[in-house]
Amino acid sequence: MARSSSAGFDRHITIFSPEGKLYQVEYAFKAINQGGITSAAVKGHDTAVVVTQKKIPDKLIDSSAVKNLHVVEQGIGCMMTGMPADCRSQMTRARYEAANWHYKFGYKIPIDQLAKRIADINQVYTQNAEMRPLGCAMVLIGFDDEGQPRVYRTDPAGFYSSFKGTGVGVKQQECNAYFEKRNTKLASMSYMETVQVAIKCLSSVLSADFKPTDIEVGVVTAANKEFRMLSEEEIDQYLTSIAELD
Amino acid sequence: MTERYSFSLTTFSPSGKLVQIEYALAAVAAGAPTVGIKAKNGVVVATEKKAKNSLYEQDSVHKIEKIADHIGMVYSGMGPDFRVLVKRARKIAMQYESSYGEAIPTGQLVQRVGAVMQEYTQSGGVRPFGVSLLIMGMDDGKPTLWQCDPSGTFFPWKATALGKNHINGKTFLEKRFNADQELDDAIHVAILTLKESFEGAMTEENVEIGICNDLGKFVRLSHNEIKDHL
Repeated sequence: MARSSSAGFDRHITIFSPEGKLYQVEYAFKAINQGGITSAAVKGHDTAVVVTQKKIPDKLIDSSAVKNLHVVEQGIGCMMTGMPADCRSQMTRARYEAANWHYKFGYKIPIDQLAKRIADINQVYTQNAEMRPLGCAMVLIGFDDEGQPRVYRTDPAGFYSSFKGTGVGVKQQECNAYFEKRNTKLASMSYMETVQVAIKCLSSVLSADFKPTDIEVGVVTAANKEFRMLSEEEIDQYLTSIAELD
Repeated sequence: MTERYSFSLTTFSPSGKLVQIEYALAAVAAGAPTVGIKAKNGVVVATEKKAKNSLYEQDSVHKIEKIADHIGMVYSGMGPDFRVLVKRARKIAMQYESSYGEAIPTGQLVQRVGAVMQEYTQSGGVRPFGVSLLIMGMDDGKPTLWQCDPSGTFFPWKATALGKNHINGKTFLEKRFNADQELDDAIHVAILTLKESFEGAMTEENVEIGICNDLGKFVRLSHNEIKDHL
């Protein structure tokens, strides 16, 4: 039977297409790229870093209010990429889930449990017709119970995994290729090297020379497990140090 | 919280078929290959677990999951849907044990998981699960292997294959299956069957193997153990 189901609703809501695919989920992935943003996350020996482009659509917008990096819980930071409203919704839900866990169980949610919870919520949107999948991908960074840095990524399909390095957004393939080439070196990188490789990845795949106001950078390190966003001065220092390396 | 659709999305076609379930089976057939074999003193399941690139940390997510001490579950199809069923199955197993004071027989678990999957083919506003499950367990020393489909139907198997190339896999198993073989031999046959549908080299990194051993326990093999078998 080659005709599509129910007069073609398989493209409108999350039901199966004849080939067994979910078109709405696939379209949600495309929606992530609508904003034209690329972000990357990578972990080193004792550091995890997220870096994202900061695009201000209008000069009159207060740039300090445009943030894609957020604290979810002390020790867990998230980087949201995709449709702005969906990003905010998912980030707020992550905060709620983390706080709820802490309240119910009396200890802070482990990063893998939070990633799983968000991914499970995304899965519900792929199975229930009344809610569409969210057009955003979330990357969480933090330390696990064994004191190792972790990078987790969830997507609209409900899939999640831990990564050594990952790209999200328009140029994610190029970011992934960049990290894969340096795969064996990542695990031994120091704090400085990890931040540098993250920023270099983004500037390399976007072929851009960044100003400190063009990107946002967030880190967790063994020395300071709280998620921290680097200030403009610190980003400037890193950009200078990268320029000096070349 | 949210308003639900009050009508089912899985409805009969003029020829009497439930096409959403057929499409769900298509999603399963596009999934990674999985093999299950019942031996004289145990059960083994093996599944391909290919990462798209080397940046994935393979050990952060598993395809073969423990449901109870004596029951394990694996799938072919959509990973996120599988996680939902793992959660439900675990709860069902715990509730049974709490009510009846004994470990849930595998057949009972399979019936109840099948009922959950059937719900999603009839309830309002939801689509069927895009996974076929292989549930393995040891009931009082007797090994059992079951398959649960998106429709909610379940079958007991001596040996079976799911996912890509499952027809060839089943043909291969028909020739190789021996009811009297020991667990170690069954593991060997499972690996061979999986190799038939494998692209590239098979290593302990891109394959997961789970067994129910003669002690009645479900165990997921470690990387080293898999390496030995390979």
